[in-house]
Amino acid sequence: MKQERKILSSKVFQNQWFLLLVVIIGISIFTTILNPRYLHLNNIINVVEQISSLGVVAAGATILIISGNFDISVGANVGLSACVMAIMIRADISPLAAVTAGIFVSVISSLLVGYTSILFKAPSFITSLACIGIFRGIALAITGARFQNIFGRFETIGTTRLFNTIPLLFIIALAVFIAVFLILKYSILGRRIFAIGSNPRAAYLVGIDVNLNKLIFFAIDGLLVGIAATMMLSRIGSAQASTGSGMELRAIGAAVIGGAVMSGGKGSILGTFLGVLLMGVISNSLNMMQVSPYYQDVTFGFVLLIALGVSSLSQAKKAGS
Amino acid sequence: MTDTRTSMEEQPLLEIHGVTKYYGGHQALHNISLDLYGGEILCLVGENGAGKSTLIKIVSGAIIADAGTVSIQGNSYTALYPRQSLDLGLATIYQDVELIDSLTVADNIFLGDEYRSRSGFFVDTTKQNEKARQILDMLHIEINEKVLVENLSSAQKQTLQIVKALHRESRILIMDEPTSSLGYEETRSLMDLIRRLKSQGIGIIYISHYLEEVFEIGDRVLVLKDGEYVGMYNRDEVDPDFIMRKMVGRDASVFFSRKKSTIGKPVINIINMNWKESVVDVSFTVHSGEIFGIGGLVGSGRTELISLIYGIVSRDSGEVLLEGKRVNIRNPKDAIRNGMCLITEDRHKYGMFQEQSVIENITIAHHQKAGRPLISMVKDRQLADQMIEKLDIALADGNQIVTSLSGGNQQKTIVARWLLDDFVLYIFDEPTKGVDVGAKQQIYGLMEDLVEKGKCVIMVSSDMPELISMSDRIGVMRNGSIVKIIENTDISEEELIKYFISG
Repeated sequence: MKQERKILSSKVFQNQWFLLLVVIIGISIFTTILNPRYLHLNNIINVVEQISSLGVVAAGATILIISGNFDISVGANVGLSACVMAIMIRADISPLAAVTAGIFVSVISSLLVGYTSILFKAPSFITSLACIGIFRGIALAITGARFQNIFGRFETIGTTRLFNTIPLLFIIALAVFIAVFLILKYSILGRRIFAIGSNPRAAYLVGIDVNLNKLIFFAIDGLLVGIAATMMLSRIGSAQASTGSGMELRAIGAAVIGGAVMSGGKGSILGTFLGVLLMGVISNSLNMMQVSPYYQDVTFGFVLLIALGVSSLSQAKKAGS
Repeated sequence: MTDTRTSMEEQPLLEIHGVTKYYGGHQALHNISLDLYGGEILCLVGENGAGKSTLIKIVSGAIIADAGTVSIQGNSYTALYPRQSLDLGLATIYQDVELIDSLTVADNIFLGDEYRSRSGFFVDTTKQNEKARQILDMLHIEINEKVLVENLSSAQKQTLQIVKALHRESRILIMDEPTSSLGYEETRSLMDLIRRLKSQGIGIIYISHYLEEVFEIGDRVLVLKDGEYVGMYNRDEVDPDFIMRKMVGRDASVFFSRKKSTIGKPVINIINMNWKESVVDVSFTVHSGEIFGIGGLVGSGRTELISLIYGIVSRDSGEVLLEGKRVNIRNPKDAIRNGMCLITEDRHKYGMFQEQSVIENITIAHHQKAGRPLISMVKDRQLADQMIEKLDIALADGNQIVTSLSGGNQQKTIVARWLLDDFVLYIFDEPTKGVDVGAKQQIYGLMEDLVEKGKCVIMVSSDMPELISMSDRIGVMRNGSIVKIIENTDISEEELIKYFISG
């Protein structure tokens, strides 16, 4: 009896995505009533396009959070990577080479966060905090703090639409989500992500090389950051040192809204996807309702707090039962 | 004895009446009563798991009893909170030192209760140092009140804990194994300090594994066994052998009658292992088909020894031969690759992946060993189901989160993890700690099966009946060394505990 109830409540908890879906639909209905333009195809395309690069960063954040790590330098890393690409493209280097170099930079940057965290036995939260300054500083230095316009020389990714409707950006984001889903669920790497996040000492004792795997997680995160930077650059057509700022908070926020727990060991990529979608929907709704953009951040903040509240309440309930 | 009695106040400082405590279905304490008078040292003895710690936790308010009352200086409680017991003048000194290394001796003594400057904002360090000096002088303790605690020896820290407790004018002092980390000289001076406290009319409950100490300073001795009250004895009327018999004597039903297997070739040779001061020159051999038990008191180096064998810490010197070949094990991964596995002591800390399902918890080690990048969910479930059936793990569904199982089933899940593959050596660290009787029998049965198949088992255990009934031989550890290896033909608990404590 008691066991049954526990299973039941854990099932409901796992279905946090169901709750999110309800909220997303609720907001959509509400906004549509106020402004029917919300449901126009163009607007929907706009929403998914906007959330695509955030989604890719959030997918990386999900892996790190589940593994018990934390990288708040991803926003700065996106900026640095995008600037490297933009400068190279402006110098008439082929976009492919530029993108490769940019992704290389983001992977190295992310590894720096992970490696210093291992080396100094410090939480990656702290080392990533230090790295924000380094990444932004380098981006400022190499761009001379100037705006790097690439004048439409790299817009294929950002503008292509399948069947003239579905943005390629969204397809890329979906592909990333599916890949991360498969990794988390069906690969030994995924098991290690959960195991290390859940109990690193126990993971070590069953023969998992915790440090090496941590580096792998950061490398994957860096790769995703690089992909996101590419997507952003292609869509916006320019980069500057501040590109991507604030992205880390939205990405981590989306993962947390989706059910990832800061202490590690728990989280779902489907939840993160819905978290990202919720952020996109809220932002778009506020635009539609002509709310000042300043209030968007206020709203995100509150949404995150509510999500934390809901998850801590259901945790407490679980502990109590 | 008689002269202390006359100087006592008529009312006891501490009275415990009918205290009972259950953990789940397990009875940790049953109907325990005692009284403690000023100027008296009451020694509390019993084996690991006898209920000593539970009892002092109830008295200090750390946990609440299911039944019974605690009266401190005439105030009677059924539920007591830590703050209340402190305010009533009862101080408990636990084994682990609770001091702040970065503060001075004086600061630590007055922590939470500082002398303030006139404005009330600053700490009046001068006055605090002065007061600290007075207390230290009064107790004849030669510690400089201005040094940082991190510079003190472990004995000085132990002493400081007592001083800290006394500055609150505690009338009752409870000490849990205060000498377990102390050397001979340090123990002597602690004993002197305790005697001085006694002469000042303080009532002391003293918990120790060392009967020599008990007989040196105790006035009365209370023996607990499996949570039951065995008896209260005047020190002068009994001898250590008598107390020892009372501590361990129990009915044969707690023993498991094990089927012995044929002992084969030597499988693992540990040769002159050394690590810091915790493991000193340890050598032994375990054969196929053999369970080698390792016994000893807490802190004797048992856990450190198996950590060394399993590569969790790297040895300073020594060799390991596995099936005759020299192996270099630098981490658990190496150990597993060479055919060893470790069923850890504290499953919450070192074993379970708390947020994950039973299936994931069972298959994790197998996947690590197999090293294939992809996982088949169907096969995973089959593997897990096979183990769930074999070990009779009670659950509703394999996808259940592991922490939703009972303690015994959690432990079986952890053991199951290592049964999906073949290993040469199985190391069990406290295999049945916190596990109910049924699960215990099953785990024993499993160990029998392993050795029957010619595997070898090293088992560290604090559970005397377990050690005696399961082991083919018992290695006794004391101060980091294996001081004796006993052929386990027919040893009694009394004999064994004697080896644990001394020669």
